[in-house]
Amino acid sequence: MKKKRTIDELVREWQEDEEIKQNIAHIVTMEGREGQYADFPEHLHPSIKKALQERGIKKLYTHQRQAFDLALAGKSFTAITPTASGKSLCYHLPVLQKILEDPSSRAIYLFPTKALAQDQKTDLNHLIDAMDEEIYSYTYDGDTAPNIRQKVRKAGHIVMTNPDMLHSGILPHHTKWVSLFENLKFIVIDELHTYKGVFGSHVAHVLRRLLRICHFYGSNPVFICTSATIKNPKELAEKLTNTKHELISQSGAPVGKKTFIFYNPPIIHTTFGVRKSSILEARDLAAKLYQAGIQTIVFAKSRVSVERLVTYLKQLTKNKIADESIQGYRGGYLPSERRQIEKGLRDGTIQIVVSTNALELGVDIGQLQACIMTGYPGNIASAWQQAGRAGRRQDSALVIYVANSTALDQYVVNHPDYLLGNAPEEALINPDNILILMSHLKCASFELPFSTNETYGEFEVQELLEYLQEEGVLVKTNAHYYWMSDRFPAHDVNLRSAAGENVVIIDQTIPAGTKVIGEMDTYSAMTLLHEEAIYLHQGVQYQVEKLDWEEKKAYVREVDVNYYTDANLAVELKVLSEDKSAMYQNVTVSYGDVSLVAIPTIFKKIHMTTLDNIGSGKIHIPPMEMHTNATWISFDLPENWSEEMLTDALTGAAYAIGSFIPLYIQCDRNDVTVVPQVKSVHNEKPTLFIYDSYPGGIGLSEKVYDLLVPILELTIEHVLSCPCEYGCPSCIGAQDNLSDGKSRVLKILKILFNEMM
Amino acid sequence: MSYENKIMQLKKMLGKKKEQHSEQPSYQKPEKPAYISNWEKAGLSIVENDFGVVFHRQVRYPFTYQHGWYQLQQFFQAVEKWEQTNFHHPYAISSEETVLFFDTETTGLKGVGTQIFLIGLLGIDEEEFVLNQYVLADPANEAALLFESKLWQWGNTIVSYNGKSFDWPQLEMRWTFHKNFLPKLQTPRQIDLLHSSKRIWKNHLEKVKLTKVEEEKLGFKREHDIPGFLAPIIYADAVKSGNAIELMKVLQHNEWDILSLLTLYIHSTNLLLDHALQDDAVTYINIGKWYDDLKERQQSEKVLLSVTNQFDVKESGLAYFYLAFQQKRNKQFLESIESFQKAIHIIDERKKLKAFEQLAMLYEHQMKDYSKALQYTIKGIDLLQQATFFNENQKKKQLETWDKRLQRIKKKNGKLFHTFE
Repeated sequence: MKKKRTIDELVREWQEDEEIKQNIAHIVTMEGREGQYADFPEHLHPSIKKALQERGIKKLYTHQRQAFDLALAGKSFTAITPTASGKSLCYHLPVLQKILEDPSSRAIYLFPTKALAQDQKTDLNHLIDAMDEEIYSYTYDGDTAPNIRQKVRKAGHIVMTNPDMLHSGILPHHTKWVSLFENLKFIVIDELHTYKGVFGSHVAHVLRRLLRICHFYGSNPVFICTSATIKNPKELAEKLTNTKHELISQSGAPVGKKTFIFYNPPIIHTTFGVRKSSILEARDLAAKLYQAGIQTIVFAKSRVSVERLVTYLKQLTKNKIADESIQGYRGGYLPSERRQIEKGLRDGTIQIVVSTNALELGVDIGQLQACIMTGYPGNIASAWQQAGRAGRRQDSALVIYVANSTALDQYVVNHPDYLLGNAPEEALINPDNILILMSHLKCASFELPFSTNETYGEFEVQELLEYLQEEGVLVKTNAHYYWMSDRFPAHDVNLRSAAGENVVIIDQTIPAGTKVIGEMDTYSAMTLLHEEAIYLHQGVQYQVEKLDWEEKKAYVREVDVNYYTDANLAVELKVLSEDKSAMYQNVTVSYGDVSLVAIPTIFKKIHMTTLDNIGSGKIHIPPMEMHTNATWISFDLPENWSEEMLTDALTGAAYAIGSFIPLYIQCDRNDVTVVPQVKSVHNEKPTLFIYDSYPGGIGLSEKVYDLLVPILELTIEHVLSCPCEYGCPSCIGAQDNLSDGKSRVLKILKILFNEMM
Repeated sequence: MSYENKIMQLKKMLGKKKEQHSEQPSYQKPEKPAYISNWEKAGLSIVENDFGVVFHRQVRYPFTYQHGWYQLQQFFQAVEKWEQTNFHHPYAISSEETVLFFDTETTGLKGVGTQIFLIGLLGIDEEEFVLNQYVLADPANEAALLFESKLWQWGNTIVSYNGKSFDWPQLEMRWTFHKNFLPKLQTPRQIDLLHSSKRIWKNHLEKVKLTKVEEEKLGFKREHDIPGFLAPIIYADAVKSGNAIELMKVLQHNEWDILSLLTLYIHSTNLLLDHALQDDAVTYINIGKWYDDLKERQQSEKVLLSVTNQFDVKESGLAYFYLAFQQKRNKQFLESIESFQKAIHIIDERKKLKAFEQLAMLYEHQMKDYSKALQYTIKGIDLLQQATFFNENQKKKQLETWDKRLQRIKKKNGKLFHTFE
């Protein structure tokens, strides 16, 4: 092992290293900032003061003080709180103050996951212990033992839970929680920025239901939200909670020095513009950091890349016995595995952790010195969350961003201002999604009968209630609609996915000892758990032997092969209705409802190191049907073009446009899909469909409808400036033959852009 | 207190009430449903109170009314039997108590969207048993139903089947919705016959569903009964269609449930208190075990002894096992040893291990017969080694304890030989 070095030493070394130097596109150092402080509020309860002083806190950060003042003035607010800015005091202080002033007061803390609630409970209980006061805080989730549930309901001052539990475990049983709802003063929503898309839209309704029940019991709680940096925190908070919010946008916490390295893997094939794999480069950089003794977190974008990186990196320790210093961490691991890893990170026995965005959330893992992002995480907010993992305690920190070959990545690596300038994306939710709204309207009717002049949140729902009455689930009396069905509607709604249930992964390597090793949502399972797929878990390869689609079970067996699998999904689209439309000379842009059928077709086996295609097979999974929203662009076939020319050009254009949508909207690459159709079913014209990848839509494609011009402009600019000759994965996607594909794609893009300007 | 003071106090109370009154919105009496005459035709009558309307059906039974193998009036003998006992039992009822046999039907299984649509209460009049069934007129008239049931009145003893964990919590949940208007719901004394049935017929009846118990133990067979899970659907249909013909079958179902509740109480009392045995050995062994858990040792011993007297060894093996513990406690060591030995060949492995342990202990500490103690210890270890009812960890721990015993007894045994030599 080489000798240990500091980050600054290491960076200097790299800047002089011939090989590494040429891959560094940019180095940006952001100097630290002193903290900004405010005095304790005058009437801050002495017990709280005492507890803070015991922790060595003599003053508050300015944002914490602002939070305290707003909360106690009864104003709902949202605070932007970067990693390690002491965000939890933004809500602990006013909540504890209120409880000390009036012990009947109650608060609900909502965290997006169980794990976060557990972490915060530990933290809060330390604070309460130091205060030496009788304040009870409990987590309430699926793991809460039945014998203490009663106590939590009656006596818990602070109930820490997650939206799923609130949705199906608390609201439908609100009569057991009378003392909570009658005295609810605060609803704390931590990690606000995670409530976007389908999940956010569901949670928006869970909160409307919560408020409705609060009003029934006569309470009028104040919302306290904390969020990572996004473009529209106030708008998101107001839409999510249906309540006016104040915004605390400036954090007073000190910031340590951060060095950003924008690392672009070398081009290995100039004509095709193929760059060396970002995963392999990240592996090499991580190895260097490991040898320098720098504790590092490596972020990868998918479960598969996490597992590949863990496999590679474990080579570093393969000669050591029982060495646990390199670990993977992602969704799909069992809770016990995750707790183990979190502990290892805190006590330093783990040197490198490779993670998907599961760790973006504020799980407390203590200090890490460096962070490697393998590929752009898709949006600025996530990138900052990941970068915030390095240097939590004001130390000098290193953030290395290793670019992929994709268009978006190439844009970001060459425009450091895009990431480091202050323009994060919007987080969108769409509580208007009628499917989501209807399922929660049922839950709300179950919880409290609607009166015949009642509104629900901001919605006029009388007609919808009328409809539910016709459906037979409600009965209308003179003044109210009553639930009249033996169903329990909350069980029919899953907040996490529009698709519903998950596929359970069962390891049958040892026939007598089969065990569940994880789960996956059905949409991902179509391409990741088909029969013969290679599924990676903790760096171990499993092959899917049998997929029982009916029962949602995948049976896997441990294998040792030198390839991974990659599956294709074919999509058919039908236009159901057109809500908006703009006509130009030869181009029409529309927005509306579509129905689509997704059919997994074939999978390829890809060699681990050469990335060659070494085999393929068919996937036998029934098609999945979905009703969603889309924006589509139809145009006339340019003169003298064959259909074949058009197919390639459209595919390239779809690829390029799809890459740049996440620059404008906070969503993952997969939340919006761009599909080319040479002859669309509804108008027989060449068409590009841009649709929300979730049933009912979540408002992304509608946003695209408005942003189409800037998206096209950026796309054209990028394709033009790409150094490749005929098109490459960084602009229009890999091309099979050397022809004028790139110029045709540009031609189509220009036709669209020029007409719409 | 002087007259003036009293007036002042009363005034204060009046003032308070006024304040409260102004805070609370007054109760809005819901409208009556449109189908009253239809439901009346089906056999229900309408009752109006301060909270709205509720439908009512009443059935009166003479004391001699026969339900299955029992006459309802045998309930009085059951109470008498309890009053003659000299020990406490959670199911004992005294003649002082106002007893209500209670069962509800609901529109679903759980959650605040589930309403109670039928409350059935069987009580005792001067000369008759009287069943009152209250039916939710429509979902809006719920407070009227809850009020009319008079379950808020203090001092009842509620006998139910699974009522302690289902019906009563449901009632409390519904009450919460109207807590600003209705009198407070008190928690009464509750006797839940599901719990007693589970204890009495463990390992004997596969399911302790009431209809099952009825057929096998109470001699009552229902004809044309509706399955319970249909009740919510039938009620919903009655409200939506305004037709209550089918709904009357749910009332019939509820009536049978409640009558069986009464005869089940009689039957259970007989099993618990009668000298003559009228059920299987398993049942009485369960009862003996129950008394033991209730720390009614004498009563437990009496029951277990009668099992061993009246059934052959094979059937009463388990009774010997429990009895042996009683005998040991009573310092009847020889009897205890004999009982354990009889039990050994019949009881399951886990209990067998326990018996070997007890025998080894009795021989070592009480009889000072170390070679016998050694024999049973070795048998115990043999059994433990091939046992499948422990996991490896538990097994290891157990083996350690047994080994200690083995070494100790060997030593004592050796000494003994030594002195003989």
